[in-house]
Amino acid sequence: MAILGLGRKTVPARAGVDAPVPGTPPLRANRVTKSYLNGSVIALDDVSFDVHANQVTAMIGPSGCGKTTMLRLMAGLEYPSRGDVTMFGRPIPGPGPERGMVFQAYTSFPWLTTRANIEYGLKLQGLSRAERRARAEHFLELVHLEGFADAYPAELSGGMKQRVSIARTLAQNPALLLLDEPFGALDAQVTWEMEEMIVEIIERENKTVVVVTHDIQEAIYLADRIIFYTRQPGRIKADLPMAFKEGRRFQKKEEMLVHPGYVDMERQLYAMMREEIRGRVS
Amino acid sequence: MAPEHDGRAQPGGRDTPAGEPAPVFRPPRAPFLDVLGKLSQRRTVVLGVAGVIIFFAVWEVAHYATPAEKQRFLPSVEQVVTEIAYLFAEKNFIADVGTSLYRIYASFFAASLIAVPLGVFMGCFVKLRALISPTTGGWRYLPAASFAPLLLVWFGPTDFAKMALLFLGCFFFLVALILDNTLAVQRELIESGLTMGASRRQVVGITFRAAAPHILDSMRNMIAVAWTYLVIAEIIVATDGIGAVMMRAVRFLHVDIMMGGILVIGVLGVLTDISFRLASRALFPYLRVRR
Repeated sequence: MAILGLGRKTVPARAGVDAPVPGTPPLRANRVTKSYLNGSVIALDDVSFDVHANQVTAMIGPSGCGKTTMLRLMAGLEYPSRGDVTMFGRPIPGPGPERGMVFQAYTSFPWLTTRANIEYGLKLQGLSRAERRARAEHFLELVHLEGFADAYPAELSGGMKQRVSIARTLAQNPALLLLDEPFGALDAQVTWEMEEMIVEIIERENKTVVVVTHDIQEAIYLADRIIFYTRQPGRIKADLPMAFKEGRRFQKKEEMLVHPGYVDMERQLYAMMREEIRGRVS
Repeated sequence: MAPEHDGRAQPGGRDTPAGEPAPVFRPPRAPFLDVLGKLSQRRTVVLGVAGVIIFFAVWEVAHYATPAEKQRFLPSVEQVVTEIAYLFAEKNFIADVGTSLYRIYASFFAASLIAVPLGVFMGCFVKLRALISPTTGGWRYLPAASFAPLLLVWFGPTDFAKMALLFLGCFFFLVALILDNTLAVQRELIESGLTMGASRRQVVGITFRAAAPHILDSMRNMIAVAWTYLVIAEIIVATDGIGAVMMRAVRFLHVDIMMGGILVIGVLGVLTDISFRLASRALFPYLRVRR
């Protein structure tokens, strides 16, 4: 496993540290192409779009469509082959805490307790012990893990481990929250519990969020807008505002299921998915 | 026609009256070789001890089954144990054991002191890996024992020559194992560190911390191999140490001393293994917690 970006010279200025350019969106993909294996695999092909502030943008599409690649470009874990991704008008120099990321795999450090995991990122940011304590306390509560503050990850369920990751990321107060199939490893019931918790948090913390998922229902539930990618080369097939929600976010998932317009949206996305995977073996 | 189901739980058929507890269920008898079998801790220990007893019993039977004139080539368990006691009491064997222990621990930890950081850095940085890995990887195929004559010529029959042999025998395998341990660290763990703003130094720290339990395991397995090189070194340059005592016994066909030496090494090996396991428990308490 190569550790990414370590051979690269570090750019001293961070996107989040530099002053934002007025009138620029939190994230902008500007004619982004990403190819692998000397151009024989084109994960993303000339993709451009803006992520709007305080919105949840979901990126979905068939397996191998480049949605995760786009998120990794936004995180600064990879770099585009052509074009660029900018944050408030500044090119992204590499990974940084102003773009918090939650991975599908459990990434809480096994040697740290829940509280210490949350405090780890705050330590990196140079917060004092007292501040770290107070912040950790707040985010423990936010993800309903007050009772597990001193537990190690091995003592937690999959859903709880993901809560730790979410709390740890949010505690750093990132300008952007990037979620890479965050519930992909969880079972169905835990997944919807977590989806509802995320909606609750987004409402409370008022975050700009980009979420990658392969689950159509999850995308509709979480998102204010869905970007649908085609498969290899990855292009934007559709850019759909979730207008049927009329700006509402549903506290309970079943409230959305009976909301007028939901079924049509789901049907439309299924049709797109079917179109993309037709004749191909996943 | 079946009665209409009202949605509530329906009690099914009962063979025993509702007032009494249902009889204890007796699962089918498990065979000795039970697939996915479970064993209590106590019975695990009992079986382990039984294995040791069987081993010594077979040895004892083999001794008495040997024709009397050849029994000196296969002494009994009690003869060997008596000999060990005699060596400790009369021949200052403890000094030889101490010398051997010093040699193995000093050279093994010297090798670890370099191999652990080197392996971790190689795992973290692809260019270091590309530079060093082919060389250290190749060294593993050079039998350490074949360096014995060379070391003898270079350094004479010294402690240093013996410890250099031990070092060579362990070092390159340690580097390879620790490199593997480091490479096995989950990529997302490192990436999440980076997205939280960890510096390169901190990322190396995360990687080391994540690999540490496996590194200690690699060391535990490697020090077992180190005993092999220790005995080789002490037999080739037989001045002192357990190996030398065993080598001197050849002249007088003292088979009980040879076997006693092997037995002592075995016991020391097991004790080393146990201390590594205890160290792992103390250093990584988070591995023992379970849901």
